[in-house]
Amino acid sequence: MIGVSKRFGKTSVLEDISFDVAEGEALVLLGASGSGKTTILRIIAGLEQPYTGKVILHGRDVTELPARERGVGVIFQAYALFPKMTVEKNIGYGLRIRKRKRKEIRETVNELLSLVQLEEHRKKFPSQLSGGQQQRVAIARTLAYKPEVLLFDEPFGALDTQTRTHLRREIRALLRKVNVPAIFITHDQEEALELGDRVAVINKGHIEQIGTPFEIYNQPATEYVATFLGAANLLDAVVRDSSLEIGNARIPSQLDPVRFREGDSVKIVFRPEDVALSKTDFVRPGQHRIGTAAIEEISFVGAYERLRLQLDQKGREDSRIDDDSFYLTSETPESHQVKSIIATRPKPEASATKLRIGERVVVAITSFTVLPQKEKRNS
Amino acid sequence: MFALKLSMATSFWATVFNVVFGLFASYVLSRYNFWGRNALIVTISLPTAIPTAVAGFALLLLWGPYGTLGRFLEPHGIQVMFTAGAIILANVFVTFPLAFGVIKPVFDTMSRSLEEASATIGATRWQTFWHVTLPSLRGAIVSGALLTFARAVGEFGSTILVSGNLAGHTQTAPLYIFAKFNEGQIEAANAIAIVLALFSFLIFSVLFFARDWLDVD
Repeated sequence: MIGVSKRFGKTSVLEDISFDVAEGEALVLLGASGSGKTTILRIIAGLEQPYTGKVILHGRDVTELPARERGVGVIFQAYALFPKMTVEKNIGYGLRIRKRKRKEIRETVNELLSLVQLEEHRKKFPSQLSGGQQQRVAIARTLAYKPEVLLFDEPFGALDTQTRTHLRREIRALLRKVNVPAIFITHDQEEALELGDRVAVINKGHIEQIGTPFEIYNQPATEYVATFLGAANLLDAVVRDSSLEIGNARIPSQLDPVRFREGDSVKIVFRPEDVALSKTDFVRPGQHRIGTAAIEEISFVGAYERLRLQLDQKGREDSRIDDDSFYLTSETPESHQVKSIIATRPKPEASATKLRIGERVVVAITSFTVLPQKEKRNS
Repeated sequence: MFALKLSMATSFWATVFNVVFGLFASYVLSRYNFWGRNALIVTISLPTAIPTAVAGFALLLLWGPYGTLGRFLEPHGIQVMFTAGAIILANVFVTFPLAFGVIKPVFDTMSRSLEEASATIGATRWQTFWHVTLPSLRGAIVSGALLTFARAVGEFGSTILVSGNLAGHTQTAPLYIFAKFNEGQIEAANAIAIVLALFSFLIFSVLFFARDWLDVD
């Protein structure tokens, strides 16, 4: 069981970061550039010191220890393989400097070479290897000295998409085999979802949410998490009699009475794939009708069809609701409001029920999360 | 020939000094930032711009028996100038920028993450230097050494001033050529001159053809 807790990095690059990683678990730190995730990794590795806080590995407080005494294995973004050493010399480096016997070194190196499937390349130099191969050498190099935790710094950044997907799976399998806890840094949300047992979304130096990929994608705790993880629709709503009022529609929902009270303004968040469209008013169980919309745009994106819809606005006397519906991604600037929502339909459905621009459809949602209108932030 | 042997020996020691301190200076000046750093780098690199006779004269003024520093040493019987040591000193003064100028850029462009990787793997600073940093410097060290040696062997202007040109004691090969020429012994001068020329040619050939091996990737 390893626990890491850090608080307040230098010049407030990090604030109050605290998390732990279980044995054999893969935790992903997901965040945009400059969010502080690299700093966290470097602090764990011992390459940087935290302003306050502690780093605890396997129950040992290593905060005061230099990097080389911590027993961490770091896989750097550019792999940092030693250019003048062959693959096997790179892998054996950790044991050589620990003055292990030659036989032990040879056996371990052989084991690792077969683990990462690079036996035929053992005498090659890093410059003669492909990116994916270099990365495997980097991993083998750290496993040689049995580190307590593996730290991956944007490991797939320099690779093309195909290699990336392939390597992701390989590394996941490898990690399960060696059962060492691992922490990954990435800014790619798809990667985070596929790689991590748990994901921590980092924004400007603090953690927005930690949870399983399912949790952070389908139950985002903040607007940032919702929009960072992919396209998100946000609609304003009001709490009324333990349901939510969106425009003229009402959808039932289980709300935490502590967080949400009668009359509160809230936002509901739902993904494009949570939208169900229908030409008739027939609503299936599990779908919550929110209104009608006109189709503005249809695009074909390969595996599915993406539609932009304009929700029909109904006048409201209640001045508390803006009745603005808008579609947000993390790229959308604050002031820009587009009164549309995005929906996607999988290929089978798109082929079965063809829709055209200008048509009116009934819109229902199958899944959503409720967020308070004003989020409390520690600034 | 004594003159040749002296030239080889003094150049050798100048080279050793240059490599060791060149590495040290390059490391410190590349890695650490401090007030006056750039001024120091310029100062170290300056001697190549100074005419060698001026360099030799300046050294005399400093270390000679009546020099600014030398006058404190003289009463103790320590004489720096007019010895083989002076030749080495002059050689170093004039050639240090060559070695430094070849080694430092390698430090400047070396990726910091290599050293960080070595540290996280568990190596001490010395182990990192020996196993990771030095191998990458191999090419620069050899070029720096060869450049220093070639230059030192042929050094005339500063040597003639600080050595006193005492035949058999502090007369290097170039000085020997000069002396024999003045005495009218052309064949003797010729002989040494040819040897020196061949030797320099040899060194530069190595530098040229081994450039690929010397050039770090």
